[in-house]
Amino acid sequence: MNSVQKLLSSDETIISSHEVSLVQGWMRSSKHLIILEKNRDLRGLLVVSETVDYALPIDSDFKFDVDSESKSKNVGDVFISISYQKQKLLFEMLPPSKANTFINELLRAMEYQSRRKTAGDYSWLKKYSKKTDLSLENQGVVMDASKLLLDYNEHIPRHSVARGAMQPVAARDSVIKYQMGMMEDQYTYTQGIQIFIGTWNVNGQSPSCSLSDWLSITTDPPHVYAIGFQELDLSKEAFLLNETPKEGEWLRAVTKSLHPGAVYKEICLVRLVGMMLIVFVEENLAQRVDHVVCDTVGTGFMGKFGNKGGVAIRMDLEMTSLCFVNSHLAAHTEEYERRNQDFHVIASSISFNGFLPPKSIKDHDQIYWLGDLNYRITDLDLMRVKNLINQGQYETVLEHDQLKRQHDLGHVFSGYKEGPIHFRPTYKYDVGTDEWDSSEKARAPAWCDRVLYRGEDIKQLVDYKSIPSLKISDHKPVIALFNSDIRIIDMNKYRKKLEEVMKRLDKVENEFLPQVMVDMNDFNFDTLRFLEAQSKTLIIANTGQVPVRFEFIKKCDDSNYCKDWLRIEPYTGFIDPGDKCDVKLVVYVDKRCASKINSGQDKISDILVLHLEGGKDLFITVQGTYERSVFGCSIETLVHLNVPLREISPDKLKELERSRDSSSVSTYSVPKEIWFLVDHLYRNGLKQQNLFEHPGLPSEVLLIRNWLDTGSTDPIPGSVHSVAESLLLLLESTAEPLIPYNLHEACLTASTSYLQCKQIISSLPLHSKNVYLYLCSFLQELLSHSDENGLDGKTIATLFGQIFLRDSPRSRNDPSARERVNQTKARKKASFVYHFLVNDFSDLISPVHVS
Amino acid sequence: MGISCSQMSSSGQYSYSYIFKYIIIGDMGVGKSCLLHQFTEQKFMPDCPHTIGVEFGTRIIEVHGEKIKLQIWDTAGQERFRAVTRSYYRGAAGALMVYDITRRSTYNHLSSWLTDTKNLTNPNTVIFLIGNKMDLEGSRDVRYDEAKKFAEENDLIFVEASAMTGENVEQAFLETAKKIYQNIKDGKLNANMTESGVQHKERGGPASLGDSSSSDKPNCSC
Repeated sequence: MNSVQKLLSSDETIISSHEVSLVQGWMRSSKHLIILEKNRDLRGLLVVSETVDYALPIDSDFKFDVDSESKSKNVGDVFISISYQKQKLLFEMLPPSKANTFINELLRAMEYQSRRKTAGDYSWLKKYSKKTDLSLENQGVVMDASKLLLDYNEHIPRHSVARGAMQPVAARDSVIKYQMGMMEDQYTYTQGIQIFIGTWNVNGQSPSCSLSDWLSITTDPPHVYAIGFQELDLSKEAFLLNETPKEGEWLRAVTKSLHPGAVYKEICLVRLVGMMLIVFVEENLAQRVDHVVCDTVGTGFMGKFGNKGGVAIRMDLEMTSLCFVNSHLAAHTEEYERRNQDFHVIASSISFNGFLPPKSIKDHDQIYWLGDLNYRITDLDLMRVKNLINQGQYETVLEHDQLKRQHDLGHVFSGYKEGPIHFRPTYKYDVGTDEWDSSEKARAPAWCDRVLYRGEDIKQLVDYKSIPSLKISDHKPVIALFNSDIRIIDMNKYRKKLEEVMKRLDKVENEFLPQVMVDMNDFNFDTLRFLEAQSKTLIIANTGQVPVRFEFIKKCDDSNYCKDWLRIEPYTGFIDPGDKCDVKLVVYVDKRCASKINSGQDKISDILVLHLEGGKDLFITVQGTYERSVFGCSIETLVHLNVPLREISPDKLKELERSRDSSSVSTYSVPKEIWFLVDHLYRNGLKQQNLFEHPGLPSEVLLIRNWLDTGSTDPIPGSVHSVAESLLLLLESTAEPLIPYNLHEACLTASTSYLQCKQIISSLPLHSKNVYLYLCSFLQELLSHSDENGLDGKTIATLFGQIFLRDSPRSRNDPSARERVNQTKARKKASFVYHFLVNDFSDLISPVHVS
Repeated sequence: MGISCSQMSSSGQYSYSYIFKYIIIGDMGVGKSCLLHQFTEQKFMPDCPHTIGVEFGTRIIEVHGEKIKLQIWDTAGQERFRAVTRSYYRGAAGALMVYDITRRSTYNHLSSWLTDTKNLTNPNTVIFLIGNKMDLEGSRDVRYDEAKKFAEENDLIFVEASAMTGENVEQAFLETAKKIYQNIKDGKLNANMTESGVQHKERGGPASLGDSSSSDKPNCSC
């Protein structure tokens, strides 16, 4: 877009643009289509990627087709194919829902251009791109699908695919149609068929004679008849109401007189006032006729009435599109320019609906134009004309034929051909005779009734002639016989090709699925310890041909894509083909997950699902052995441990954790680990400034962990701050906080009343109560030294409130838990604990069990 | 005006109108991935590594003149992945349950695979039993009639096949699709339901919107 904007001149504007993907062979790449306008007049279409690929004038050579897979519905893909001269590009509109606006603009541009009288100068488009040749071979992208089928591997622009600039096509109808279209000649053949064109100005007469002399004169029955009449009915009723009994009369007469050697089906009949056109197709061939549409246009009285004008029928016969036009152009010798104009009006106004955009006459492979074209002989003496004709010297007379002259000058019927005329002029005779007009007007003879054709593969047979024996009109009927090639599908070959295309599309789709390799599927972590992170690297290599987006995804019942002791960095990413991505797997057992592993509720074992967007999933197994620690043990377990934790088997620990027996007689009234830590602080930390606020050293915390787990007899290592932090950590690592979750609501409610708070504490399980009171006693002692350590009750109460009444992990994830709510909660927790820092609660202390 | 012109109609006549989801299940090493490969590529893949994850393949087939796109999920057979692969069963229209005719243990485990399939898929999921490696007749460990009986008792379609020679591979995938198609035509399977494992393009389901690579395939293993 930017590259285009920079090039815009002041009189050029962008009318519309749309994102598309251009289908090239088996690949598609993203582009923009931009409609430009210059001077509020000429329009052009640009195909833009990073720069402008093509700049196409929207002129008479520009065509486009819309192919929507579900035209009637809102959903579905929209493809448009744009052709310029003989070449074609297929675009998928993205998103399809917005394609309409752009298509309407394109239609408008084409409509506008079709109304132009002169060809425009489109050289202004050249500054965008000199390429108007749509051939993709210029771009190094071979379009020949037949070659692609054979040498598919060589012709895939893998480099572009790898860069993400191209993607493989999807198996869409339009894509398949396009692929099939590219190798049409591989499953089609041509067959010559005989087309009979007849035209007759019947001067308002009824069919009072047999028409066999006209319609049934060939040896072999024609395959197709297109028969046109003019002046079928000259009555006012016909003119004003467009109703006439003659339609039926002539239809019956024609039907009766068709070649007896074949059975014909009436494909279409169209009439405007006196102009009628009927198409018949031989019965068997008729099954292969499709998309029959007709239209009419009046160019007569006031320039729009139907006394003059044209009627047309189009149809597809197998793969070939045929169009038949019957016209009656303006009369009178001197009016040849009106006739030219009528021709142009008909050629540009006839519009066949049912296509988007609607098709016009020129959009057909073969066009047969017949009718009373009304061109006369000029600049030649009447007697001389009659003499020359009587001598059979038609050529001399034809030099003065207006149609020949206008045609040679390029003023009318350009691109059309006409067979050689070897028959007498068809106008104007005395009715019932072969005599020239003997009336007062004594009109000069003229070849008014003609048949012209346009298109490849049409061979005019010698039979272009008039039928003098039909004498009921002042015109003689004319026939023109053609041997035309139509393209026919060989169904067997077609199915085979279609199968090949479908198979290829499957293959393309499978081949361009995202593919990666990982260096390892199994990760084993040895001897993991509490609070010690270990990491390993998973290497994901993109071994496929397309860029890959990967993501570790959740398994069904899980809330996260990995267990909470594992971190994956990054858990999602993008890798180009040939590239790789290092993913760090970090195992870290901390206070959140230690208790679950101690209790056996969780273990260091996880299967990760590595999902490739649009492709397969890989499983990565992560396992490890964890050296259990007192951190993560419940109070109940700790009071029962009479040996260091390291000497306990994981199974024994699991059993203790599961039973959480608070009733049976325990070794200790408070866990010895807590006692050691508190006792150390009591001895060494009462006067320490910022105790519990100042963090400890992580390395010292690990030493203290080892000291506790091994039951060392050495002095506790580390500073008092590290000891204080270890104490907090120990309390925070348990599965449930010291005051169980189910009592939290009651605690918060009771926080204003010491009495009620005491009641809650007295109802705690024995060991929790002991620990609680033990710690509060210690904290009271600590606060009694506030002169030296600077601590105050409020701060301590707040800190320990969060620990004794720790929120459950679930509520911490609750987004509805607002900041303000949390603050209120924290205040209440602090109030609860504060009671026990300032009051004497010795009445709660049960007699100490001395062992 | 006495005209009788037909108007053109444009409907999808080339591309597929249905998408069927398949899963391939069975013990490790019975040849699930090779069957998939043989079906999508018409080639035997020797030295195929164990699938650690879920492979994905696709092919368009024709049943009764209708084009159908098969999306096939080939699951890891290892026991340790069983819990994870279970989440891929949901929304499968067809399940190809594979054992190895030369290893009885793989046959003996079928009832457990069958239980999973019945529990995790919808009642109309077509289950097709494939006895793979029929080319290794000399090492046969499971008799044909025995497996045939098992299939009949459990209402499964059964065929012995060879991913190596390709024999009966195509048939297994196609027969399954025919049966699913029949179920839709009989009204047993509602192509509108997400659980059915079938998407009908005319219904304007996700398959007809946007790019197949982003919407046709699940982005979560659930």
